Amino acid sequence: MTATVSPSSAGPMLRRGRSGEDVLLRVAVTGGALAILGMLATLVLVLFVAALPSMRRFGPAFLFSSEWRPNALPVLKLDGHGHTIRDPRTAMKVVDHYRAPAFGAGASLFGTVATSTWALLLAVPLSLGAALFLVRIAPVWLVPFVSFLIEFLAAIPSIAYGLWGMFVLGPWMGGPARWVRVLGMQLPAGIESRIGALAIHVPGLRWICTTSVGGKTVLVPPTGRDIFVAGIILGIMIVPIITAISRDVLRSVPREQMEGTIALGATWWQSCREMIFYCRSALFGAILLGLARAAGETMAVLMVMGNTAAVPTSPFMAGTTLSATLAGEFPEAATSDLQRGALMEVALILLVMSLVFNIVARYLVIGKWQPSAATAH
Amino acid sequence: MQGGGATFPNPIYQQWASDFGRQHPDVRIEYVGKGSGAGIGGLIDKTLDFAGSDAPLNDEELAKARRTGGDVVQIPSVAGAVVLAYNLRDLRGELKLSGPVVADIFLGRITQWNDPAIKSLNPHLVLPDIPICAVHRSEGSGTNFVFTSYLCTQSDEFQTQVNFGKTVRWPIGEGAQGNPGVTQALEETPGAIGYIELNFAIDNNIPVALMQNESGEFVKASPATASAAGEAALVDMDRYKTLTVRLWARPGPNVYPISCFTYLMCYRDLGYLRDRQRAQAIVDFFWYAIHDGQDVATELAYAPLGQGVRQRVQQELDTITFNGQPLHHQP
Amino acid sequence: MAKKRDTRAHLASHLMYGVCIAAAAVIVGTLVLITGYLLAIGLHSLHWSFFTNLPRSDPPGMRNSIEGTLILVLLASVVGIPVGTAAGVYLSEYEVDSMLAVPVRFVCDVLAGVPSIVVGILGYELLVVPAGTYSGWAGAMALAFIMVPIVARTTEEMLRLVPRSYREASIALGATKARTIVNVVMPSATGSLVTGAMLAVARVAGETAPLLFTAVGSDFVVHDPAKPFPSLTLRIYELSNEASPAARAQAWSGILVLVALILLVNLAVRYFTRRRVAR
Repeated sequence: MTATVSPSSAGPMLRRGRSGEDVLLRVAVTGGALAILGMLATLVLVLFVAALPSMRRFGPAFLFSSEWRPNALPVLKLDGHGHTIRDPRTAMKVVDHYRAPAFGAGASLFGTVATSTWALLLAVPLSLGAALFLVRIAPVWLVPFVSFLIEFLAAIPSIAYGLWGMFVLGPWMGGPARWVRVLGMQLPAGIESRIGALAIHVPGLRWICTTSVGGKTVLVPPTGRDIFVAGIILGIMIVPIITAISRDVLRSVPREQMEGTIALGATWWQSCREMIFYCRSALFGAILLGLARAAGETMAVLMVMGNTAAVPTSPFMAGTTLSATLAGEFPEAATSDLQRGALMEVALILLVMSLVFNIVARYLVIGKWQPSAATAH
Repeated sequence: MQGGGATFPNPIYQQWASDFGRQHPDVRIEYVGKGSGAGIGGLIDKTLDFAGSDAPLNDEELAKARRTGGDVVQIPSVAGAVVLAYNLRDLRGELKLSGPVVADIFLGRITQWNDPAIKSLNPHLVLPDIPICAVHRSEGSGTNFVFTSYLCTQSDEFQTQVNFGKTVRWPIGEGAQGNPGVTQALEETPGAIGYIELNFAIDNNIPVALMQNESGEFVKASPATASAAGEAALVDMDRYKTLTVRLWARPGPNVYPISCFTYLMCYRDLGYLRDRQRAQAIVDFFWYAIHDGQDVATELAYAPLGQGVRQRVQQELDTITFNGQPLHHQP
Repeated sequence: MAKKRDTRAHLASHLMYGVCIAAAAVIVGTLVLITGYLLAIGLHSLHWSFFTNLPRSDPPGMRNSIEGTLILVLLASVVGIPVGTAAGVYLSEYEVDSMLAVPVRFVCDVLAGVPSIVVGILGYELLVVPAGTYSGWAGAMALAFIMVPIVARTTEEMLRLVPRSYREASIALGATKARTIVNVVMPSATGSLVTGAMLAVARVAGETAPLLFTAVGSDFVVHDPAKPFPSLTLRIYELSNEASPAARAQAWSGILVLVALILLVNLAVRYFTRRRVAR
């Protein structure tokens, strides 16, 4: 029996054949590798099967419908004169028939997209800027220190962010009227509401500060639990990932590239732009990884978002995301098969989303550089 | 033994659990307040030994329970009141509200505090010109069930657009988790209005509105006015042969219109537990709840069960069995 | 004309230079802000009874939750670390670019990015529903699921750093492949492997979502993993939903303890990894 030549142990190998312990170890490690494949397969399979009833029932409309109605809505019975009839036992009106419960991931999907967008808007400039700082500006002794601090942000558990957002950032932000507050000084309530009333008339602010309720345009109440705050928290959370990968990607740009541009008389910023352009696909991959993390985040969003199953019309309104809906509604899904199926479908959507982001991102980043386990999780 | 469910009775169940635990040192009772929906779910998939819920089992849940473990015993343990609490710091005086007006607020049709509909109920109050922020429960909640059921009796529009249930889709407003969550949201947001249980409002010193009942009176919520509603319900218990009757929207002098029972639930035959001692402990605990336990109700701002209700509950408890053998209370 | 364009370009360059510095400063500043808050409020409400009392006592404490997290993480490690290490060894030492290795590496990376709540739901469907009860085992296995890809990747990376010459020398001296790996390659990377495992442990200790529907939490001291199990993160989450200032203070204390523990582990990891890389 010949021994296999493996690249990691190239060189002269004694033809000893495979001994017992070799076989044992080989089986063990192959088992480990297969386990990993099995884990992904199990995940996808179990969720798919669990979501089937809901998928069959609602079809592709599930993705777009923002209706999340666990209970059936009645259509009232009318007597001969067209009046409703009162039931003495329940004191409600007698029902003719019900419109069946309907679920749709539309609101959750919108929330996920909205919060992730805000998160990226915040995180991408900060991360790229910091990455450029680390690679092109900072003196050598400063780099490990600052990188270390940025990675600290990644180590903080998400529930800590949620708590901070819920008790510190949220109350401080409290909606558009409160933005007039300068560093904690509170304006008298009358002035705040008057400024808010003005906002209705300014075309740009109108969209964010107001919402339409029953046909009337109304100022969004300042609760501090909304999409925007969730977006900020998520942004802070994904900064370390994007920064770390971007830093390593930018570092791997060959010297000649940079020296070439400088020789041509480019300014510092222009050569930076060249660098970014050079590894744009890998940087895009880094951003996608950050996006994947933001989309999948549960606890921080759950605690900071207000959790209403409706599509918010202003970023200062409460909403929900795929993961928050999942976490919030799961406890009671045991009582309704349809609801549980719908939640499984939400989980499946979340899984597919994160898989797609991750796969595309790895594909983009892997071409130029391998993400290290210590930086991207 | 493990119980869970409604957050409304959580304070008194914790009290009962520790008092009962002192009398029976070999019994440990754990009750977790996660919402009535979670409690019922836990009972059905048997991850909980007993459940607490402000809402009785609906048809779907009852059918499910019957499939997994047989019939379910649902007994009222205490009564309470769902109150409309609000955050209007500068308001001088007590706010008066009526069912239809509250329904319109939570439907989003009344959006400002100085709306004419609210003004007409409170002619002597100066109402501020700020938006109303309606706060509701975001998880499956018995308090939700009670409140929405009440609003359905007050407004056809509410019944057809939102209907009642432990979870409903609210057209507007902000969601919060649990009675404590709503309380917190109320404290933080000026102009907020939310529905919570009376004891939470009292413990946190939050102003509540007087509600107009079916007889036209504006009644303040209290253990006494909730008990008055309980008395009115006895008739229905006999007429419909069930312990799960509605206490809301009842006419009568000094009757608070959004009163409710909260129920303790377990399977009628506890043989599936395989542990006779645990089954016995459940029965004993339920017995304790409706007898000695009632003594602490009023001081915790709950309404104790009346004598008539207690009798009927006792009869129901006597029907609990272990593999067919009746489990009677052992003093 | 050229001069004017030059000046503008130089202005822009100086501006962006400053912006990048500002970006880094903002990030570090945010870190300081957040940890500052955690420290200040957490320390303010922390007292000895936190570590000794239970949630039902007065004043309430988190002893059972701290124990619970430690036990859950231990159980998760018992499954997660061996499986992850095995996979990592496979990727590094055997058929590095074979048909199996490429997808495994890829899947490993992808698995690491799966949202933790989805892992919790998997745990619920596979381990809670058939058993009929929430359990510490379900929670621990969900955590292990998260650990495996992380451990596998760090193991592979760290083993790759071991110079080829070690392996060649060992083979030349007549050792089997297995002996080579176990007695030569791995011991020389022990420090890194351990720190890799610690990274995974720190990550998993701070997770809440996978435990929401598996271990579910408890107010009592639980040592039987077949029952609902307490955890520091779950308890903090529960407390955050309660409105009383006392609950809030407790939540902050809990966060402080949790974050301190995790950051300490991460500090140790970074310190050791730095030494190894700068060889």
